[in-house]
Amino acid sequence: MASEAEEGGEVHTTEMTTDDSPPSIVEEKEEKVVSTEGEIVKTSDGNAQESGSSSLPEGLSLNYEEARALLGRLEFQKGNVEAALCVFDGIDLQAAIQRFQPSLADKTPSKKGQPKSESPRSGTQNPATLVLEAIYLKSLSLQKLGKSTEAANQCKSVLDSVESMFQNGPPNIEQKLQETVNKSVELLPEAWKQAGSHQEALASYRCALLSQWNLDEECCTRIQKRFAAFLLYSSVEGSPPNLASQVEGSFVPKNNIEEAILLLMIVLKKWYQGKTHWDPSVMEHLTYALSLCDQPYVLAKHIEEVLPGIYPRTERWYTLALCYYAVGQKEDALNFLRKSLNKHENPNDIMALLLATKICSEERHLSSEGVEYARRAIIHTKSSDAHMKSMGLHFLGNCLGKKSKIVSSDHQRSLLQSETLKSFTESIALDRHNPDLIFDMGVEYAEQRNMNAALRCAKEFIDATGGSVSKGWRLLALVLSAQQRYPEAEVATNAALDETAKWDQGSLLSLKAKLKVAQSSPMEAVEAYRALLALVQAQKNSSGSCKANVEDDSVSEFEIWQGLANLYSGLSYWRDADICLQKARALKSYSAATLHAEGYMLEAREQNKEALAAYVNAFSIELEHVPSKVAIGALLCKQGPKYLPAARCFLSDALRIEPTNRMAWLHLGKVHKNDGRIADAADCFQASVMLEESDPVESFKSLS
Amino acid sequence: MTSDASPQSIQSAKAAVESLAAVLGGGALPDTLASGDDPAAALLHDGGVARAVVGRLRGAGSGVGNDGLCRWLYDAFQSNLPELQLAVLRFVPALAGVYMSRAVSRKQLAGFEAVLLALYAHAAAQRGAGEPETVALPNLANPSVYHDAKVPPKTKAAELDVAVLSPALEPHGTMRATRRARIVGAVLELYHGKLALMPISSKLDFCEFCVAWAGNRSKLDDKPRIAAPASSEPDGGGAAAATEEKWRRVPLPWELFQPAMRIVAHCLLGPTGSDELKAQAARAAECLYWRAAETMDARALLATRSLVRLSQMMEEPIPEPSFSGGVENMAELEAMRANILSTKN
Repeated sequence: MASEAEEGGEVHTTEMTTDDSPPSIVEEKEEKVVSTEGEIVKTSDGNAQESGSSSLPEGLSLNYEEARALLGRLEFQKGNVEAALCVFDGIDLQAAIQRFQPSLADKTPSKKGQPKSESPRSGTQNPATLVLEAIYLKSLSLQKLGKSTEAANQCKSVLDSVESMFQNGPPNIEQKLQETVNKSVELLPEAWKQAGSHQEALASYRCALLSQWNLDEECCTRIQKRFAAFLLYSSVEGSPPNLASQVEGSFVPKNNIEEAILLLMIVLKKWYQGKTHWDPSVMEHLTYALSLCDQPYVLAKHIEEVLPGIYPRTERWYTLALCYYAVGQKEDALNFLRKSLNKHENPNDIMALLLATKICSEERHLSSEGVEYARRAIIHTKSSDAHMKSMGLHFLGNCLGKKSKIVSSDHQRSLLQSETLKSFTESIALDRHNPDLIFDMGVEYAEQRNMNAALRCAKEFIDATGGSVSKGWRLLALVLSAQQRYPEAEVATNAALDETAKWDQGSLLSLKAKLKVAQSSPMEAVEAYRALLALVQAQKNSSGSCKANVEDDSVSEFEIWQGLANLYSGLSYWRDADICLQKARALKSYSAATLHAEGYMLEAREQNKEALAAYVNAFSIELEHVPSKVAIGALLCKQGPKYLPAARCFLSDALRIEPTNRMAWLHLGKVHKNDGRIADAADCFQASVMLEESDPVESFKSLS
Repeated sequence: MTSDASPQSIQSAKAAVESLAAVLGGGALPDTLASGDDPAAALLHDGGVARAVVGRLRGAGSGVGNDGLCRWLYDAFQSNLPELQLAVLRFVPALAGVYMSRAVSRKQLAGFEAVLLALYAHAAAQRGAGEPETVALPNLANPSVYHDAKVPPKTKAAELDVAVLSPALEPHGTMRATRRARIVGAVLELYHGKLALMPISSKLDFCEFCVAWAGNRSKLDDKPRIAAPASSEPDGGGAAAATEEKWRRVPLPWELFQPAMRIVAHCLLGPTGSDELKAQAARAAECLYWRAAETMDARALLATRSLVRLSQMMEEPIPEPSFSGGVENMAELEAMRANILSTKN
């Protein structure tokens, strides 16, 4: 037996020294090992088996496999991957495992009784451990050499062996073997992935996480992170995991994204519990996944849970602002930005400034604040960064435009209006390919009643977007209608209808109806409303699932009845108008528009008191309801001289809110005339006439 | 796949290759293509075919109603052979890229539209009528296959939020301008589903068009260059490549932005192993980020910002096996030798 063992031992020494190189293995060169490899394997094959069977019971001597394992490990350690591979190649894993199996079975129970330190050889390890580690190292070497498929196969054989070795009873694995298992479990999916075998990679990731490998926390976390990324980005069509033993109420992901989000959340939770270190990529992957599903609110919750000290607070605030803005909680978003843009924090962060500007530009009462942010952003943008500057100027224009609508003096208003156009123009000069910019400028021109310029912008916008954006068509039609070019406006509307799927035609049909009204073809208008009504009914009947994407660009049934009521009352078809109003009221009990229409009908029937009451109710519901203010003004004007100041008051108020309301100007002119201020009256009448020539069938406000 | 293909499907694939050769004209395709074992796979992976077809798709006057190549793509896809369909999907980047850029100029592109609508109809049929693609957001309060919840599950599991990843695909028989982005977006989703099987050149094509669609330069390359065609070698489609047109910026509503971004994310972070593709995808991701910034579209900003950041992060390496220090190794070796010696005696 001794001689056998010696032979086994000498295999290496001869192997290492045959080529008269220095005796130390450490200095052995790769090529030499390679050249002698095959020979050695052949010559020593018989020996190895003998020695294996005879030496093992005592667990004292090294057999052929173990020797190779050790030598290969040394080579690997030195970085001689290829040499290590050659040494490992000689190991017959299957044979080795078969031999080890009984010995392990014997050992396992005995180990339980004995303390571990009592092992006869303290320096050496269980032979199975050694060989399995060798195979793992072999797999790793193959992986490093780019032979991923082979690597995966080797790695898999390690895991299969471990599984078969411990199929009976709970694994009582020594630490070194556990380490090899951990590493193999981790390597296997990566090897498959690199080999391009994505299905196998998917399966081995799941197996790694769902089988009982007794992985340590860090290792498990790494696998979970990699698996999540694999699920998110690999585009592999994988079947969802199915477990026979599902706990009731347990969440089983149905698709890759669900599974990825689940894993990322689990990893984050582990971090909250202090079980793993922080890895910024986890949050980025989760951000990507949740944004993809349009779930910024869920994302915000997760970012809020991140402990302080990970993100600079201004960055966290900015990210949260993005999340809240995405779900429409503009006030919350802006509050975060206000904190972040505080002079003690990060007052000149361009992206935060731009976001704040954008949010402010959407709300009138915030427009002044927005102007400040925009100016700051523009000042701090590098002059070379034209794109950023253009964005700043664009949003500045939006804020100025909004602001011009709330200032009280004419002078300030016209000043702001010209500033608005100026910043749009500057912005376009820096970036002439941004259609949204052109659109906003078109609307601004239209609101300032510069219809030729507005028309140019509308056309340019349609060209830049290929007619694919509905609001472009509507702007064009409205501008044309404001120029009293109704037939052309209708052509534009029809062209838009052609380019729009039935489902989304609501706002266009309503526009068409209004164009028909403007052209005094009530019957066709009624026809258009009827089509619109049919569409809305169809939308209502279709399943609730489609509702979400229909909502944003469609016309409500209420608006249709309201429009019809206005149409009929304009024709003095009081009964029909009444029916339509009832329908409208059934859909929306308290509406300024309905009350206004009611008042109009009462007024037409000379029931002035009731009419006045209806108008007052209308603007009590909606404080800024211009038509009812105008109507009250007009009604009071007719009541006699002592009501003239009140009438004037209402009309001026209406004009403050909507300076381009021609009816308000008309009635204000009448008030002045009745009061004897002829020159003022003339001015008002003139304004009214001019505005009539540029009055769209629908307010431009409906566009944005 | 080669071994599974029935002789019938090989015949059809052969016929498809031959008709493609006829469409492209003499010499454009290698003769060996049709005679191979698996002509469909060759169509998918052959670089020469790809160059010829993509060159033609990019060429002036492509995509009109009587474009033979579009007819071929249409027929090949309608053959319902999965292998051939894959070969058609390989050209989705060029097809969608050229189409979207030209459609903005409102050119007549009935050929492209026929192919895209066929692909869309396929996607809609695959999904099922009126079915949106949804994602149920996990709630960690419920146990899952990957974790146990502390609290034992009650009789009723906590409510799950359901997010819509892709809304239902309504049937569309014609390409209306306002639905163009949705249709092309759905086609991109179809392509995305098969990305793992697509050759890298196809993905490179997509990244290039994505940069052009976004319409603004990446801050990385300050040189004012227009999306330089990465694969326009003067070969096959050489004549077309010489007069390369500038691909226009296109409207990118979320329904188009989202699938485009998913493809870019795959190219950037998926298991492709191509540095060239990663570089192109990083550029595309950055362009998409700046495009999203133009309108401050928050969800698009968040998603693309994460992609850009992830592309700059180092991937956590697989830990190397830990060995004890060098000296100890020697000791181990000595121990081994000593062991051998001791048994000798």
